Amino acid sequence: MQAAEEKPDPSIRLGARGVTRRFGPVLANDAIDFRARRGTVHAIVGGNGAGKSTLMRILQGVDRPDSGVILLDGAPASFAGPAEAFARGVGMVHQEFMLAPGLTLIENLILASEPADGFGRIDRAAALAKARELEALAGVSLDWDTPVEDAPVHVRQIVEILRLLYRGADVLILDEPTAVLAPAQVRELIALLRKLRDEGRTILFISHKLDEVLAVADEITVIRNGRVVDSLPRSSASREGLAEMMIGEVLARPEPRAATAGTPVLEVAGLSARDLRGHAALSGFDLTVRAGEIVGIAGVAGNGQDEIAASVTGLCRIDAGTIRLAGADIAGQTLAQRRSAGLAYLSPDRAAEGLCLAAPIAENAIAGHHRRPDLCSRGVLRRKAIARHVGDLLDRYSVKRASDRQPAGSLSGGNQQRVVVARELDGDPKLLVACQPTRGVDIRGIDFIHRCLLEYRDKGGAVLLVSEELEELVALSDRIVVVYGGRITGEVMRGSAGLEEIGRLMLGGRQG
Amino acid sequence: MMIDNVIHAAVVMTTPVLLAALGGLINRVGGLVNIGLDSMMLAGALFGLIVASMTGSWPVALLAAAAAGGVVGLAMSLAVTRLQANEIIVGLGFLVAVAGLVRFFLSSAYGSSGTLSLPDVARLPRIDIPFVADVPILGAILSGHDPLTWAAWAMVPITVWFLARTRLGLRLRAVGAAPQAARALGLNPLALRDLSTVYAGVMSGLAGAYLSIGVVGIFNEGITAGRGFIALAAFYFGRNRPWATATCALLFGFFDAFQIRMQGRGIPAELVQTLPYVMVIVVLTAVAVAGRRARARRP
Repeated sequence: MQAAEEKPDPSIRLGARGVTRRFGPVLANDAIDFRARRGTVHAIVGGNGAGKSTLMRILQGVDRPDSGVILLDGAPASFAGPAEAFARGVGMVHQEFMLAPGLTLIENLILASEPADGFGRIDRAAALAKARELEALAGVSLDWDTPVEDAPVHVRQIVEILRLLYRGADVLILDEPTAVLAPAQVRELIALLRKLRDEGRTILFISHKLDEVLAVADEITVIRNGRVVDSLPRSSASREGLAEMMIGEVLARPEPRAATAGTPVLEVAGLSARDLRGHAALSGFDLTVRAGEIVGIAGVAGNGQDEIAASVTGLCRIDAGTIRLAGADIAGQTLAQRRSAGLAYLSPDRAAEGLCLAAPIAENAIAGHHRRPDLCSRGVLRRKAIARHVGDLLDRYSVKRASDRQPAGSLSGGNQQRVVVARELDGDPKLLVACQPTRGVDIRGIDFIHRCLLEYRDKGGAVLLVSEELEELVALSDRIVVVYGGRITGEVMRGSAGLEEIGRLMLGGRQG
Repeated sequence: MMIDNVIHAAVVMTTPVLLAALGGLINRVGGLVNIGLDSMMLAGALFGLIVASMTGSWPVALLAAAAAGGVVGLAMSLAVTRLQANEIIVGLGFLVAVAGLVRFFLSSAYGSSGTLSLPDVARLPRIDIPFVADVPILGAILSGHDPLTWAAWAMVPITVWFLARTRLGLRLRAVGAAPQAARALGLNPLALRDLSTVYAGVMSGLAGAYLSIGVVGIFNEGITAGRGFIALAAFYFGRNRPWATATCALLFGFFDAFQIRMQGRGIPAELVQTLPYVMVIVVLTAVAVAGRRARARRP
């Protein structure tokens, strides 16, 4: 395609014209066009594998397009690397935060452009003055000497944004910035972004969460399968319309029927446990999950929900309390014993705990079931039986794959999670502990996994669901238990409370 | 007095470990665990002695030793950062290769096997402090030591200050802790890492020269006696904190000095010589166990 010579339009702060990037047979970006006008929030919306990350890498100078150009102030530009993108005012807040652990917040703020004297001594007073200035701009108050690892996620995110401002960036690219935030924090972030926009900065907001996109964006570009589906102003966008553009069709939300809860499957009583750093995370925690029931745990990250899941699955040692699975105390049992007693687990960290990305899909799909006599006899794996079993299993869960022998890491995030769900629900477990079951999964995958969970529940399964996605909790759970500081602050039955009430409980409010 | 002798010897035996450990500490902060410190010490010990004999000047000899260690450090760093070789394997390779090269060099250039004794070696001078020298214990701690020992201890607070307060120190910490993030901000992690390894080599080279021209006055292929590894243990155990690292080096120095006093008392020398190494293992294990207990008790 001949790139038509157009007159540079300086009101376009950042954009792309015909950006195409190919990885082997996969066309990750196919002639992507978008134009983010100065002083606006421009959202880029798309599901997993739509090509958002590739486009971001190109806009950051980490990757180069095969053809097409980046537009900067309306004129074609190219970045040799992230440093050059920075130098020209384009900065990015990554989904996995890029603050250096072991450094304090202020050290991270000034890193790589430190105020210093001729001997290389850091001018700490100047650094702090600058930090206070940025703090006031963002309308927050931070303890700048906190080590990064002790700062809550939303504070880290603010520091990343302020770092971009410190470095003089006036184009902020935010990649899925709300994934780690509680609802109130999302509103604060949106308010901050509006403020920065009103001061003339340009914001590129990458997300697949349509409600937030609609709340913050001035213009929206939807991409699917590496192509731009449409670019439209906020005023002419609707949730349904965007969703349809993202996935190419309308998905009906699964309408769960009322639960018919049976006998208790999981009974946790008086549970006390510590987090990885040895601080008390849970004390005297009680929880029951019955057969045919999904119990959701809501809480801002780090309020004990991870330890509940880890205690039940056996990944962390508990200090006190009992954990009963179908009546039998499993608190002293090994992970393998718990699994053979009917426990299944969807890890929040798919790459590290859920799968072995370097191993073939087939081996991942039987991991944990590899002792079953039909798959293994006298310690020798029965390859044919496994191939048959895995083939059936993955077909049932519609895992898109070229071969069962390809490494799990070569699948998209959504398909990886399907493999995990398929494996964990295989063999009819009594209890499924599902942590962040749809993290990093696209809309279609989310829908599929939700259906799997509901179907499992309807067949009498018990689900303990831990999720940072409130909508997910509300959509699936029969009961939501809200935790704050390792204690239950409230319990909400299906349909009896809105997001606002749950959000209030998550921040430590008591149930009225 | 015997106690004074042991204290004096303890300070002496601490210096080489402390020098190498502070170098290795900076290297590790920069993101490279340097298990080849011992090879850089060996190179420094040999070149320090040769130059001390040739020039008759100990400062020039120290410069030569620092340069020798730095060159070995640079070669090792480039193999790790530019050829993406595994740092453990490269470190092991350098330990074996430098030992072999030293032996080859000794036999081909001096026709000697393992030991090199040269004429007119300039030794490190001793700084005697008037009056203080006569005070028991304090005199042994402070007086009669050479400039390199004073420099090594001065480097402890300087290292603290460097890491916390200077631009280079901050960047080094960032590069070691989050290379990707540092790169995205426009820093060059590989170059900074190379710099830190060269520094580790320089410090280890000085440590080696300390053994050859400071302590014994001759070179022997076993002169380092694994002190590069003790240095590794020191900064690992000190968790990259300079004072804790120095304490660990001092611990080794003390048992090394004690071991020298214990020789010739009926126990086989080879067994006595293992004492400092065994004690370092015992003490580090005990401290680690105590630390774990303390953490477990905390509510």
